[in-house]
Amino acid sequence: MLSWLLAACQWLAATPLGTGIRESDNLFSVIETIHVLDIAGTAGVIAIVDLRLLGMLFSQSEVPEVLSPLVKVAWFGFALMAASGLLLFGAEAADLYANPAFRWKMLAIIALGLNQWIFHTGGPRVLAAVLSLGLWLTVIVLGRAIAYVS
Amino acid sequence: MNKFAYLAVVSLGMLASVDCIAHHSFAAEFDGNKPVRLVGVITKIQWTNPHSYFFLDVKDSKGIVSGWTCEAGNPGALSRRGWNRGDIKLGDTLIVDGFLAKDGSHLIDARRVTLPNGRNVYGGTPGDGGPEDQPSGAEPAKN
Repeated sequence: MLSWLLAACQWLAATPLGTGIRESDNLFSVIETIHVLDIAGTAGVIAIVDLRLLGMLFSQSEVPEVLSPLVKVAWFGFALMAASGLLLFGAEAADLYANPAFRWKMLAIIALGLNQWIFHTGGPRVLAAVLSLGLWLTVIVLGRAIAYVS
Repeated sequence: MNKFAYLAVVSLGMLASVDCIAHHSFAAEFDGNKPVRLVGVITKIQWTNPHSYFFLDVKDSKGIVSGWTCEAGNPGALSRRGWNRGDIKLGDTLIVDGFLAKDGSHLIDARRVTLPNGRNVYGGTPGDGGPEDQPSGAEPAKN
């Protein structure tokens, strides 16, 4: 199944960058630490946005007032998360290809993207906020589970 | 780690179908009650994060050779203990004291490795909660 994708993952893991990170003394753990701390911060910021949309936090302030500064922080955090995640993926791509937790995590991230897009095209905000909270929790749990399944 | 967190980690490890190539606590994959000593010839080395692996051909008392996989800590943890990637090469004989995998496969956790030059190195992952666990930077145990 999807042998071209497996080949691409194997190629990525065999690049000097992938191999270098995989076999490094410290670089892998440094990137991993950045990735995990960034998820904690970014998912936290996004949770504040979601809770405001649900009216459970900062409900005395207008929605745009709460959202506009936080969304900028969230996008910056997401960019760093994606970059660090891509490097970690490159280091282990050949193994991660078949990892069920990794596959589900990627699907959950795609679902987050769709949810974001539907919300911005005028979808119901309460549903978007609930889905966002649930999907981010799912991404975090699946990310940790990658290490325990294969 | 507190008791609850430890139980949570262990339970998660038991729930997951554990094979190799994963980063985890000792108890997720290995049985601390099943010590084993392997003496074998290195056929493959994976000096990799988040765990290193080396593969041995081990001859039993009947002369039958079988392949074993030994899991060790990450390259940084091992090199801080003075075990560098150049210290072992294909064809070298290693003595590995470790613990068997719970699933009964030919996989062990390499807790103590006797390198070709006779030096003993602790091979475990720092803070994995297994026997003789040594957090990074701790003094190696006396042999």
